[in-house]
Amino acid sequence: MSQKQQMIISSGDQLLQLTTRRRFLGLLGVAGAVVMLPSVFTACNDDNGTGPNSNNFRLDLSNDIGILNYAYALEQLEAKFYTAALASAGFNALSNDEKEVVADVQKHEVIHREFLRQVLGNAAIPDIAFTAATVASLISTDVKLLSNSQLLEDTGVSAYNGAGKYLVSPAYLLVAGKIVSVEARHAAAFRDMRDIRAGNTGRMFAGDDVVNPQGLDVKAEPSTVLAAVVSLNVVSSPLSIGTGPKGTPTADMPAPTPA
Amino acid sequence: MDNQPMLETIEPEVIKRLIDRSDEIRQGSPTRSGVTAALALGSIPIALAALSRDAGAQVSTTIKNVLDFALALEIFENEFYKAVLGSSLSAAQNNAFATVRAKAMAVPGAVNTLDQIQRHETAHVATLTALGATNVFNLSATTFDFTGARGAGNGPFAGATTDLPFLLEVAQGAEDTGVRAYKGQAGNLMSNAAILEGALRIHSVEARHAARIRRMRRLAAGASATVRLSGTVRGGGASAAGGSGSEPAGVVAAFNAIYGAGANSTSAPSESNTIQAGLNVASLSGASFGADAGSEAFDEPLDRADVVAIVQPFFIPTIS
Repeated sequence: MSQKQQMIISSGDQLLQLTTRRRFLGLLGVAGAVVMLPSVFTACNDDNGTGPNSNNFRLDLSNDIGILNYAYALEQLEAKFYTAALASAGFNALSNDEKEVVADVQKHEVIHREFLRQVLGNAAIPDIAFTAATVASLISTDVKLLSNSQLLEDTGVSAYNGAGKYLVSPAYLLVAGKIVSVEARHAAAFRDMRDIRAGNTGRMFAGDDVVNPQGLDVKAEPSTVLAAVVSLNVVSSPLSIGTGPKGTPTADMPAPTPA
Repeated sequence: MDNQPMLETIEPEVIKRLIDRSDEIRQGSPTRSGVTAALALGSIPIALAALSRDAGAQVSTTIKNVLDFALALEIFENEFYKAVLGSSLSAAQNNAFATVRAKAMAVPGAVNTLDQIQRHETAHVATLTALGATNVFNLSATTFDFTGARGAGNGPFAGATTDLPFLLEVAQGAEDTGVRAYKGQAGNLMSNAAILEGALRIHSVEARHAARIRRMRRLAAGASATVRLSGTVRGGGASAAGGSGSEPAGVVAAFNAIYGAGANSTSAPSESNTIQAGLNVASLSGASFGADAGSEAFDEPLDRADVVAIVQPFFIPTIS
């Protein structure tokens, strides 16, 4: 058995450095361990109360409402990404067949976001602020738009697959199940679009990089997913985990960075 | 893509979860040693087999029943794709699909897709077995009638052996049935986090399969725009299959069941459903995109009896 690699991140700023991000994403790809020291999160927090409601973005994942807020945060990111994508140069460069997918997915993600907002009601976290310039950089070309869409959808699948076990309410588990299969369809569509551009191997929709030899799809714990989201450098709100989930985490198989 | 790092890290962790969930398996026990030895030899099947008996002994009757049911569906899917690809242990099953197989080989990517899916179904059979599932209906290559006539060989799906667009429509229906079946059983697995997570991770793989098959159908220009390139399910009932419109009545009835409401439309709504948690997702404030997008954005579960009714015609033994 090979020694597992480990990477320790002590400040949020480290994630903004290119070499750190590369290594971080590389480690996710081989299921290495990434340790986020508490300082990563406290650096974002506003304990003296002078900033804009930082505590509101600190997720309490020890209960179903917190898990749903975690999903809501991810859906906010996806909805923002595709809404921006529709008006991007990258979108204009897509074929009509490809545009249909992005247009469909944008609607689905905005629906997911607004649905969760209403389900959560007063318990919902505030609207997350995104860095427009960074979002724009993810969709500036058709190639980037498709690969980043794939990454987002695979990440969504991994997040729902990893969070389901923490839900206590069967009704919420069912809702999560109704959404995750749609995210998986999206992921397969983006992967297939990229595969067709690259010569149509016919295998990428559920490639060996996302489905392991046991036939199991990607799966990631909330800490892994949020760290990956932070590394995209698009979220400017202090989104963090205040309290972790109740229960035993399982080994991660995170969404791989698109080749 | 180099898969080796993933193989090295994931497999032992899957095993570890099985061990964690089996309270009676302690470190240093003979079983644990057997697993360690099997892993040292690099054998996944041996490692899984070494654990299957013990992991299986731990699960409740409710969970065992779900696992057995899931296994039956996976064996069905696996044998279907093997027959299509010509790799079934039954020469008769292979011969039946020879014509459509030749047509698939002429389409770029098609055979690779069917092969990729079949590999996953084989893996699902092994994984469910390792989790404790038993082949309670004694299913094998020869216990299926893919025409949908329970052994008579003259059912309404016979056209799938010669007509590639129809074969893909049937494959899409099988995958979407799988997605709905797993979704309907998730609540029954909540008492065992490891098994629930495994089932969720199979569930999303089935959804990926269905999405790719939809895209193949649509891109071949034979299917209507109901068959979304985003891989999602638009609307409900037989029309959601996006077929040719000239299918036999028995096929239309089957697709009505695959994409429609189950016997209990509260627990198993039609795929056309747009009411989620009491909210109309076709016309949410800030997201009012209509019934098509609203139905696409959420997939619906089926109850076990609904799934049994859909797949029974393809099984020669009676299942339940």
